[in-house]
Amino acid sequence: MQLAIESVTKRYRKGVIALQHFSLEVKPGVLGLLGPNGAGKTTLMSILATITKATEGRVLWNGADIARDPDVLRSVLGYLPQDFGVYPNLNAVEFLQYLAAVKGLDGAAAARRIDQLLELVNLADVRKRPLGGFSGGMKQRVGIAQALLNDPQLLIVDEPTAGLDPEERVRFRNLLSDLSGERIVILSTHIVSDVEATATDIALIAKGTLVAHATPEALLRRVEGKVWEWVVSSDALTSAKQRFLISSTTRRSDGVHVRVLGDQPPQGAELAAPNLEDAYLYCLSQHRTGAHA
Amino acid sequence: MNRSRILYHMVHADFLERVRRYSFLLTIGFAIYLGYAVYARQVTLQLNHYRGVDNSAWLGAVIGLISSVWVSLIGFYIVKNSIQRDRQTRVGQILAATPMNKSFYTLGKALSNFAVLAVMVLILALAAVVIQLLRGEDTQIQFGALLSPILILGLTAVAVVAALAVLFESLPVLRGGVGNVLYFFFWVALLSISVSPLTGSRQPTGLRALQDFTGIATVMGQMREQVHQLDPHYEGGSSFGLGNFNPATKTFLWTGVHWSSGLIVGRALWLAVALLLALLAAVFFDRFDPSRNSLRTAVKRKPASALDTLAAQTFAATNSSLALPPTIQLTPLPRSGTSAVPRSRFFALVLAEFRLLFRGHAWWWYIAAAGLFIACLFSSLEDARPGILLAAWFWPALFWSQMGTREQIFSTGALIFSAPRAAPRQLLATYAAGVLLAALTGGGLGLHLLFARDFSGLAAWSVAALFIPAMALALGVTTGSRKAFEAIYTAWWYVGPLHHLPRFDFMATTAQSSTPIGYLSAAAVLVLLAYSWRTVRLAYA
Repeated sequence: MQLAIESVTKRYRKGVIALQHFSLEVKPGVLGLLGPNGAGKTTLMSILATITKATEGRVLWNGADIARDPDVLRSVLGYLPQDFGVYPNLNAVEFLQYLAAVKGLDGAAAARRIDQLLELVNLADVRKRPLGGFSGGMKQRVGIAQALLNDPQLLIVDEPTAGLDPEERVRFRNLLSDLSGERIVILSTHIVSDVEATATDIALIAKGTLVAHATPEALLRRVEGKVWEWVVSSDALTSAKQRFLISSTTRRSDGVHVRVLGDQPPQGAELAAPNLEDAYLYCLSQHRTGAHA
Repeated sequence: MNRSRILYHMVHADFLERVRRYSFLLTIGFAIYLGYAVYARQVTLQLNHYRGVDNSAWLGAVIGLISSVWVSLIGFYIVKNSIQRDRQTRVGQILAATPMNKSFYTLGKALSNFAVLAVMVLILALAAVVIQLLRGEDTQIQFGALLSPILILGLTAVAVVAALAVLFESLPVLRGGVGNVLYFFFWVALLSISVSPLTGSRQPTGLRALQDFTGIATVMGQMREQVHQLDPHYEGGSSFGLGNFNPATKTFLWTGVHWSSGLIVGRALWLAVALLLALLAAVFFDRFDPSRNSLRTAVKRKPASALDTLAAQTFAATNSSLALPPTIQLTPLPRSGTSAVPRSRFFALVLAEFRLLFRGHAWWWYIAAAGLFIACLFSSLEDARPGILLAAWFWPALFWSQMGTREQIFSTGALIFSAPRAAPRQLLATYAAGVLLAALTGGGLGLHLLFARDFSGLAAWSVAALFIPAMALALGVTTGSRKAFEAIYTAWWYVGPLHHLPRFDFMATTAQSSTPIGYLSAAAVLVLLAYSWRTVRLAYA
């Protein structure tokens, strides 16, 4: 099972380029696709989900070009778009039954699967309520259930935890971890903690290009020895922000504890253990300044 | 910021948002087509065998009446989406959180609607100049005579329509398909009332002139008087509309509408009506309050937050940790080769689409449909075919109008079209569901024709059952909106089947007006159009 993205470029009308010669090879596990707003994540997801076509380049699923034969991928694809709707007059079961029919699933198998999925996403008790009365988080969980309907080999989830409460977010992360293994899960988000909890691989994307593709451990190694914890007074914080790349600040009784990213530490700073957010910000800043290859 | 400035910015932003959409090109295209139709004499104004010399006054009158009659019909459907757009784009929620006054909002929307329709009227005015120069019967442009009927009749009529569209959008019951269908009949009534003061060769005066919303009685009344002076044998017949079945053989010199103070006051009163309608809309406007949405009302006993809490409580009770419940195991689906998808589930999809058509409609709809079915089956063929069938196939219009639009309206496209072979399968399944609906609702007559061994009638009935959903699907897929089918179907139903007009009677309500081969071909073309449109719009098919 392999998904290969080969030099994909997506150009919209009026010359806006969302992706530029983007290449990536994805193997079973959870790939966390991280990047700032407007980086091209959703465009890439749409191409992989066969919703839109690449302007140049190709995407291969087990060696088959999905632009030529999208159904090769669609039959094993689960897709949760960033922004999707539901039919407000249907209840959760009816909506999932409808999508099961669209996906061509066998009726009895689909019915069993829908029951299990509604349990899984915690909507079994409201299964007969019209979707029009659901909150945003509940609709999102319906979206998660529909993505899993056909037991997908490739699961693409675009900003899946948007609108979920903290408890459901943790639940969903655990679900993603359990689902990976013999399938590919692509998780697109700008929430680093979601990726930190689930991803076996991380791809950083910025301005439509691939900034880095590595395991979380390898990414962390890149920033080792470059993260510093520094205590400054509140008055000095503004000046510190202007001089250094800061990944976080925490106010404590002795001052503001600042995490600084850089090769050289500020005077009085102590070396700190890096986390994925540090690595993400460091790689992006290196990319922006053109120092990263 | 003073009030007029707020109003200006509301109208300005709304107008810009509209004119920068591709659909606005269609609006302009339609206005240009109307101009062309006048030039090609497809739209004619005649007084029996007389028509006016093509000078500024005559063409101004023709275009003025087109604006007040046709633009007031089509324009309503073009602009009746301004509040809906704010709802769909969720800009409405932002506006609702501002100190915005409801009256200002509805007035702003009415003015924005008016601006869009005024662009159409101005294009028509420009077309009048071009037509006069091209025809060459009188090349001297007299702007006063040309523009006065267009501005005084056309703009006042579209002002009323602009405000009516906002009122319809503000009233929950008229916001959707019911409003689209009802407006057509309202327009027919308005036109009838407008024409009714026109008797013999005299123009209406006094209060009777006030009921002339379109100005058709005023203009034609004055024209009739002029022709009567020219030809004493002329007794007052006149026509205005599509088609040119009896071309005019004589001309007369029309010098323009005489604008009496009574007429001007009458038009000003219609402007006041427009203002009142826009303000009345504010009374019903829900200010994007989701709790006033009908679906929210339907689940009022357990609102969304309560449902969420219920789900969360259930979760908390059964799962003390955040780990997945150990009892829930997803059953792996059987796979054949690399595909988990069986290849023959088309009928399941047809049934799913069929069930989807019926969602969200009240029980009494089914009672009435069943009543019409039984009436078709047990009444005489003479009553059922030209009479009851009309109702039986008008009744499901709002069901058919969903076809091909749901994916866009509810943003489910990404979920559906990422499924294997979804574009052709789902489209054909939707069509099949629509045909099934036609066969069921008109089935009483179908069975009746079968029992009576009227096979030619049965064939015509079958073609109609294939044609109606094909039209709904093609219009739904190409426009992405239910309005087009609701408006065109209602108008066509009124003109063709209701009056048993040959060539236009797609329901084949009489043997004489039936043209099944033409409509069978049209159904095939429409389905093909829907399929091609969808496959072109989707990156993959």
